[in-house]
Amino acid sequence: MSWLWIHKLGSPKFFYGFSKRFATPIFFSGLLFSLLALGWGLGFAPSDYQQGDSYRIMYIHVPAAMLAQSCYLAMGIAGLVFLVWQMKMAAIFIQAVAPIGAVMALLALVTGSIWGKPTWGTWWVWDARLTSVLLLWILYMGVIALQNSLEEKVLANKATAVLSLVGLINLPIIKYSVEWWNTLHQPASLSLIEKPTMPMEMWLPLVISILGMYLFVAGLTLWRMQTHVLLNEHKASWVKKEVLNNGI
Amino acid sequence: MTYLSFVKYECLALYRNKQNLFNALLFFVMVSLLFPLGVSSEEAFLAPAAGGIIWCATLLAVLMVVDGLFKNDFHDGGIEQLAVSGLSFAWLMLLKVMIHWLATIGPLLLITPLLGYMLFLPTDSLVVVLLSLLFGSPSLFLIGSIVAGLTLTLRQSALLMLVLILPFYLPVLVFATGAIKAQQAGLDPSAPLAILLAIFFLSLAISPLLTAISLRASLAS
Repeated sequence: MSWLWIHKLGSPKFFYGFSKRFATPIFFSGLLFSLLALGWGLGFAPSDYQQGDSYRIMYIHVPAAMLAQSCYLAMGIAGLVFLVWQMKMAAIFIQAVAPIGAVMALLALVTGSIWGKPTWGTWWVWDARLTSVLLLWILYMGVIALQNSLEEKVLANKATAVLSLVGLINLPIIKYSVEWWNTLHQPASLSLIEKPTMPMEMWLPLVISILGMYLFVAGLTLWRMQTHVLLNEHKASWVKKEVLNNGI
Repeated sequence: MTYLSFVKYECLALYRNKQNLFNALLFFVMVSLLFPLGVSSEEAFLAPAAGGIIWCATLLAVLMVVDGLFKNDFHDGGIEQLAVSGLSFAWLMLLKVMIHWLATIGPLLLITPLLGYMLFLPTDSLVVVLLSLLFGSPSLFLIGSIVAGLTLTLRQSALLMLVLILPFYLPVLVFATGAIKAQQAGLDPSAPLAILLAIFFLSLAISPLLTAISLRASLAS
């Protein structure tokens, strides 16, 4: 099997045609998985012996928090790729994924705060995990603000690439904050290598909701990237042909 | 042009614009004075808070200096000349940042004992405060210079800079005040101080390169 198609994705034209086939099915399968997991998790999974029903917010909180970090990781790597290889698609990816990541970080903060009230007795504490996720959200907002305030396109792309690359430093701090400092936030209960610490009936919907959220975000990102490709390449002849033939 | 002549030129330019540095110091003192007047002038509040107040004021003053770090040179075309001078652009920018750091933080360290006295900072904590400023402030300048390069072309950059820079400044702030708190609780402050040094070395390794990249991008536009 040839891997030629991978580096062809660096071309906006090829990417557009390639991703157009995948965005919709990925998005809707993500939506399906998410709804399935939410229905299962909220309606049928057993109550927790300690937290009662309040733990069920985990089916939104955990995927959102994971996505907030994954989106930033991907964004930082795209920043590096853009600075080193000057790939246009990397800049488009950063532009497309930043608002989604920001929403995910905010969602993680809000759901975490709602979860914190019944379990910890407070909406907010200044502990390492919460603070570092707040910083992650500010980083996302900074990237979005920088992208929008610099009018020169080339400069805006480079500037956001630098900023997202430097911001990668925050990720290990978030990940290990619960181990390095004494925090209220619990350590992760999900792991790829260890046996799950919760019963199967709780664990399975969580895994499905995480999978669903990843697909959902991937579909959204592809859509947003297509929009940016069309905007950036609006002078190219292939865009004109594409829009005239297939619509937007 | 040589590195030496660049350093001479920078020092001269700083000396002739000494009002800017003076403003930053004045700003530092003003912010520190807001707290006793605005929150409480009791010793019971100020003594444990003094270290944090001094650090917050330093952070804001540095932000002010860093925002104007490349502005003049950008508008008069000086940065462009440096970029094509044949010398390493990253090294030149590192030298520039170091000179500005020395010129800002030097006087700031000198007035900190006085300010500490006014804020009822316990005398034994003074050494830790000064050490944390010495170890932590270079990182503020190094990280700030990256972001200053990114926002160079904007007319109103100060507000955006605050949003962009804050996530990177907070770790420095947390560990610096952590060292002061540890000392005041009777613990050994050397661990947070060592982390401050580690942050400094890390930013020393990354900053010149990324500052050069972001400045070149701003110049090209």
